[in-house]
Amino acid sequence: MTNLETRLLEVRQLGQERVGIFDLPEKFLPYPGQYLPCQKHFDDTKLLPTHLFQVFCPYEESCLGPLPENWYPGDRIRSLPPQGNGFRLPSSSRRLGLLSLGESPLRLLALTKIALAQNAAIALFCDPKPDPDLLNLLPPMVEVSSINSLQDNLDWPDFLGVDLDHTNLNQLNDILGYFDLRFEGQVLVRTPMPCHGLGECGICAVRTHHGSRLACVDGPVFSLQEVLHVA
Amino acid sequence: MWLKEDAHIQKRDINLKNPFVNAAGTLGFAPHPPSMPFLKYLGAFITNPISRFARQPAGNRTCLSFPGGLLLHSGHPNPGISHIIRRFSRRWASAPLPIIVHLLVETPHTLTEMVHKLEGLENILALELGLPPDIDPQALPTLMEAAQGELPLILALSFDQVPSLLEVISQLQPSAIHLTEPRGMLSGQDGKWVRGRLDGPAIFPLMVKAAKQLVEVKLRVIVNAGVYLRWQADALLASGVFAVALGSALWQVNTDNLFLTL
Repeated sequence: MTNLETRLLEVRQLGQERVGIFDLPEKFLPYPGQYLPCQKHFDDTKLLPTHLFQVFCPYEESCLGPLPENWYPGDRIRSLPPQGNGFRLPSSSRRLGLLSLGESPLRLLALTKIALAQNAAIALFCDPKPDPDLLNLLPPMVEVSSINSLQDNLDWPDFLGVDLDHTNLNQLNDILGYFDLRFEGQVLVRTPMPCHGLGECGICAVRTHHGSRLACVDGPVFSLQEVLHVA
Repeated sequence: MWLKEDAHIQKRDINLKNPFVNAAGTLGFAPHPPSMPFLKYLGAFITNPISRFARQPAGNRTCLSFPGGLLLHSGHPNPGISHIIRRFSRRWASAPLPIIVHLLVETPHTLTEMVHKLEGLENILALELGLPPDIDPQALPTLMEAAQGELPLILALSFDQVPSLLEVISQLQPSAIHLTEPRGMLSGQDGKWVRGRLDGPAIFPLMVKAAKQLVEVKLRVIVNAGVYLRWQADALLASGVFAVALGSALWQVNTDNLFLTL
């Protein structure tokens, strides 16, 4: 697998997270939900690659994050091509719901560019509300609500994107498991993926209706129906 | 020289083109050349650990970092030997390097079954027996006997098993010993303790010491010493080890540092 040397051009703070703009060719840009294994040159503080995701970016460029604390503009970064399966927003989707059960909705919000391009309305459901700095940068078409209001409006979205840590899969059952869902959905399951698909090491295994699946290869984005009612 | 016809010939030579292998659990069940450009530097490919029947991932599977190293706990998930042979035997046969199949030792009976299933497959160089952490030294000869067949045997044992098994291993003289990484404990995200394999430069000095101990009793030693840099591999080879096993170092984006001067 060819690896590529790139450069970190800019570092920006979006809410609580540091994100970066890289000098990357188009084919190395991960689709929302895919990940990019990256390592900084001569960095002996981190043995394994950092997995960068495409995150929401209010600017023209594409931003990747979250960045490690010791990465600065000008740093040389080695990267593999984008790995795993990302979100696949149906082109027919017009009402996109985003449910964030993580510390930051930035990975999910990377879908806004695609959704806005197909004139979809977007609602972000998360508790607590995102950092005010981030809220100010969101396009006005993105509505932000609490998770309870998603449960009250489950007939609204025609597609739901979810972002959660693998330890929170039970929480997803608590939120959506008691309802008859009439929309498609996909879930970004964040979990350590140390071998990034090279070793089938099993550390990123996710229980699905089709048995254990590896987040590094089969995910990290899974269909909602595959992971709901399993954990 | 006289050979006794009734005596078992246990020791068989293993030859490696290059003195590097991957550690079991780092590169999957079969080589995949497009995503593994470093295969040309390896003398053999060691499969992920394989059991007689399917094993599920550990409930508390994780990868935890500490300064200089990693703790990995997966439970060695695999679909069982029959499924693995169906899925990978063709890829083993056409692989650009010989295969060493790593078997998880459970009982003598299941071990014999697994060995029989593997005999006759193409391009298999040897079988590596992953010993349970709590194995009784008295049980080792029975296990070795159960695994006897056409293929050379490598015993994979952890650094902390060396003191208790050294005497019996010296008598048994397997084709090689694979000294695997030590086990340790760290507190996970939820504050609960997790046991797992340790890898990374932090384990290097411990592993060098243990490897030298085995080399001194004339055993052929493959060692996973948490090597991340070329000088570490050179130091091990200079100390007399047969081959260096590379673990999580192969998961780096760029592995040139390991092989640059080869």
